[in-house]
Amino acid sequence: MSTQQQEPEQPESQEAPEDPEMRGAESPVDEREKAGGDIDQTTADRSELEGETILIKVFRYDPEVADKQEPRFDEFHVPFEKGMTVLDAVMYARDNYDSSLTFRHSCRQAVCGSDAFFVNGKQRLGCKTQMADLEHPVRIEPLPHQEVVKDLVVDMDHFYDQMHTVEPYFQSEDTPDASDLEEQRQSRENREKVKMSTRCIWCGACMSSCNIAAGDNEYLGPAAINKAYRFAMDDREDADIKEHRLRILEQEHGVWRCQTQFSCTEVCPKDIPLTEHIQELKREAVKKNLKFW
Amino acid sequence: MAERYSSFAPGGTAWLLQRITAAFLVIVLAFHFFLLHFVNHAADVTFAGTQARMENVGYFLTMVLFLIAGTFHGVNGVYNALVNQGLKGTQKKVVLAVLVIASVALIAQGIYVAIAMAGW
Amino acid sequence: MSQSYNRGLIEDFGRWKEFSAGMWAWIFHKFTGWMLIGYLFTHIAVLSSALTGPEAYTNTIQGLESLFIVRVLEVGLLAVAVFHILNGLRLLMVDLGVGLDAQDKSFYASLVLTAIITIASVPTFMDGVTL
Repeated sequence: MSTQQQEPEQPESQEAPEDPEMRGAESPVDEREKAGGDIDQTTADRSELEGETILIKVFRYDPEVADKQEPRFDEFHVPFEKGMTVLDAVMYARDNYDSSLTFRHSCRQAVCGSDAFFVNGKQRLGCKTQMADLEHPVRIEPLPHQEVVKDLVVDMDHFYDQMHTVEPYFQSEDTPDASDLEEQRQSRENREKVKMSTRCIWCGACMSSCNIAAGDNEYLGPAAINKAYRFAMDDREDADIKEHRLRILEQEHGVWRCQTQFSCTEVCPKDIPLTEHIQELKREAVKKNLKFW
Repeated sequence: MAERYSSFAPGGTAWLLQRITAAFLVIVLAFHFFLLHFVNHAADVTFAGTQARMENVGYFLTMVLFLIAGTFHGVNGVYNALVNQGLKGTQKKVVLAVLVIASVALIAQGIYVAIAMAGW
Repeated sequence: MSQSYNRGLIEDFGRWKEFSAGMWAWIFHKFTGWMLIGYLFTHIAVLSSALTGPEAYTNTIQGLESLFIVRVLEVGLLAVAVFHILNGLRLLMVDLGVGLDAQDKSFYASLVLTAIITIASVPTFMDGVTL
């Protein structure tokens, strides 16, 4: 892939990015802009970037390569295209400039949760972040507070461990009899209640943004607590299982560590109200204990 | 599920107490500031004035409760900040012990002073 | 995975420009909290002069209050306490699950209110003292 210099579907991107001669390529865009007087302001702003190159600064680290053992930032000039995402930009850099540039990605549509990066100081999903919405140059780093394995790839083991601690699967003692009911139905209201919490894609952006999770390694973290919320609030689970779930959450390093900084809620690419869910579980745990007294 | 079955959850109790003391402190701290900086000017405070206030049992008890709530809220806040930073093991136990001793000493000293102020 | 690189605490104060409202609220709340508990210990120590005798108590307090720097510090203490109270109310609301969508606005509101109350209190706090 890296030897193939020319991408047939994007003729404008063939030009050497820094070459001032080729800046003439902007003019057709400008003309189009002038012709289409009815385009709205945001489109006009974005099309200013059309035909230009964007500078990205990408974090590099590779324990197996001598000059990358000390982390550094590499700069790439990526030709901008309308609709280009951060993931597109790093893919372009990898395919055209440096095939050793390493990052995780799979579905490219904010479903698999593989490509959470630290972009311009904020945890964002690479495939869901438009280059046009960012300040330039764009600084792309691996998720903070996780060990870097190589370039933008971080070690997710701890994140997955915390997710599994809360038993992230449906548990019910009595499944309905198969003869009279094939589905285990949930009320519409209950579905609405857990709806947002079910959207988690395990990208780890929230955990990375949480400065308590960074300090206290045992803290369950927003993603795991949200996962627990998804099941603890599901009416189809029995009361004693909910009780069991709350016991996991109310440990010292469970919900109480949350300091309501709202960092997780702000970075979540699926807009899950994480802080709200954590707060509700705190109240649930307190209520449960008050009942015992 | 049949592991350790206890209704006592230390994290939750401290969390709830932190909120309850917070609600109490909001009112009493505002009152305290208002009384000793606006109603009575701090520069005009004399022992006689302090004694006149402290002799009132209601005021005395409020101030003692204020001290206890404030100490708990503050020291628990400090302890939580340290746990959030990843304090654990022996260090954590030592810090907790030191904080508890400091709190008890502060409350004892404060009550002793309050009794002296009231002239009892 | 033979080796990996620990970047440590990346979101330290070096990135303060990238912090959001909730983060600032937390930092200020922690900071003012540390100052208030520190002050509580000092406060009891100063008031302990009452144990020596009525004159010692009156002299200690009036002596301190006659110092310009003490008055300035008192205004600072008021600002710290007022912010901690107002942001504390904000946090109590957050704990009750009220107005979570407006958590950034309520933080800005507590900052503005703190500033107003502090500035309005300066004449009272500075009454009768000169440099």
